[in-house]
Amino acid sequence: MNFIHSLQDFIHYDFLLYALLGTLFLSITCGLISPLLIARKNAFMGSAISHSTLLGLAIAVSIFSSDSPLSIFATTLVITIFCTLFLAFSTYRQKLPTDSLIGIFYTATMAMGILIHSAFAKNKTDLLSFLFGNILLLTKEDLILSIGLLAITAPLIIIPFKKWLFLTYDEEGAITSGVNAKFYHYLFFILLSLLIVTSIKLAGTILIETLLLVPGFFALKFASNVRQTFIISVLFSTFFAILGILIANTYGLPSGATLAVVLFLALMLSLLLKTIYTWIRK
Amino acid sequence: MTDPTPILRADKLSFSYNSEEPTLKDISFSLFSGESLGVLGPNGGGKSTLMKIIVGLLKADSGKLFFENKLSSDYKVYPFALFSYVPQNSELNTILPVKVNEYMDFARSLYKEHNSATDIDELLDLVGILHKKNSLISKLSGGEKQRVLLARALINRPKLLLLDEPTKGLDSNGQDQLLAIIEKIKTRDKTAVMIVDHNINQIIRNCHKILCLNRTYHWHDHRDLLTKNILEDVYHCEFEHLLIHENDLKNNTEQNGTDHHLFCDHDHSKEIDPHSLLRRKK
Repeated sequence: MNFIHSLQDFIHYDFLLYALLGTLFLSITCGLISPLLIARKNAFMGSAISHSTLLGLAIAVSIFSSDSPLSIFATTLVITIFCTLFLAFSTYRQKLPTDSLIGIFYTATMAMGILIHSAFAKNKTDLLSFLFGNILLLTKEDLILSIGLLAITAPLIIIPFKKWLFLTYDEEGAITSGVNAKFYHYLFFILLSLLIVTSIKLAGTILIETLLLVPGFFALKFASNVRQTFIISVLFSTFFAILGILIANTYGLPSGATLAVVLFLALMLSLLLKTIYTWIRK
Repeated sequence: MTDPTPILRADKLSFSYNSEEPTLKDISFSLFSGESLGVLGPNGGGKSTLMKIIVGLLKADSGKLFFENKLSSDYKVYPFALFSYVPQNSELNTILPVKVNEYMDFARSLYKEHNSATDIDELLDLVGILHKKNSLISKLSGGEKQRVLLARALINRPKLLLLDEPTKGLDSNGQDQLLAIIEKIKTRDKTAVMIVDHNINQIIRNCHKILCLNRTYHWHDHRDLLTKNILEDVYHCEFEHLLIHENDLKNNTEQNGTDHHLFCDHDHSKEIDPHSLLRRKK
């Protein structure tokens, strides 16, 4: 009963409708990028980018008041992209393991963000809301941004889809066939930064990782070819993100955390069922 | 008759990683249409490095590289369409569930405008892997993977085919079959082939020209001029029995009725299988 009422709420209240639609568009984008993020072995890089947004956010909220959300968004985005480009430059076709550099960068930028927030914006905003997100804060502008993000990301992934896959599967083969690997390397990280910064309100800088990793991981476990991987990833991401938001609203739970747990449980349950199915077939 | 214009010409190429001791120094050679060049040398001798310089993955510190008599730097875009490169199959990313025909399609999509007639089935048939076109590449054997990589490399009908250890991990039957396919392609399309391999016998048997390479030392000429001393200089070890040019031996036998030949200065008449094996002295 509660669940039905909750569904009706999403139609009656604008801010809930924005939340639902925002989740829909962001989860489609996450579903598209997720298999590439995992297959390119950039999961840790994604984590570093999402944590480095805290530095951009801290600087942005120190400069602008909370009633200038677009200025905060733009400042955070510019600083995050700057940090990402540095990481992308440092990790392009490196033979040395780059995880240590990413780890150093990840903690350092987060620490700087906390210090800046503590010094200049302690009384303005609550840092915790950035870490774990609050979907109810999503505004009409945020909804437009999430639509814009999907409108940019989808063609940039789908049109050169085979190039992305060729580069991911056989990098040297693709480069020597004329694919501009450097361009796609930087493009991927810029798209990732855009997605992460736009999703902060949805899941926060920490929990966004779940949306970025679980759909792709699930799809790669179950798909039998490449196209299927991306379709499953988008469907999984969209369905369970929406379900997470509905559950969060119904039971008054924090949106980011609920979303992360719902996706995780769906993954675990499906892996368990797969194991049982394989065991029975033997 | 070979085309008088070399497909590839290297003139005093030198390269070092991080300004350390040179990996390659003043390497010069040329390769004509329909010819094959086998590159021999110990591990770390610079064979793969040389190949990566030719395909544009690394940049030489000095020296010149010509494709069809045109300096590589004079091309607006590096002449990827002229050649195809097959790296070692261990470089493939196994996370994505890529099928044989999907992988071929990734490569074909790059050349669609120029060569729409390229038929994937025909190429797969040529390398004897058509029956596996719907199989995941990760499920194929080492030999089958190499055939797929070779088929992918032929999709742009290259004038020059560069193969980095194509027989690595294959049994002797697999090696023979793969080299027979390469020979067929060479004859059919007049493709120039450059092969890096550790199997000295196979290289001597299948390549017109040999490039012996051990960092700063190199020797390059027709295979009939290769001597035991040259190989021993390159590998820094002694060989006790060498597979040689049957023609050389035949000539000697016809001329003086002995089984002596110039290459290893050894009477093979007492041996059961005189020209089948090259091995290091124990």
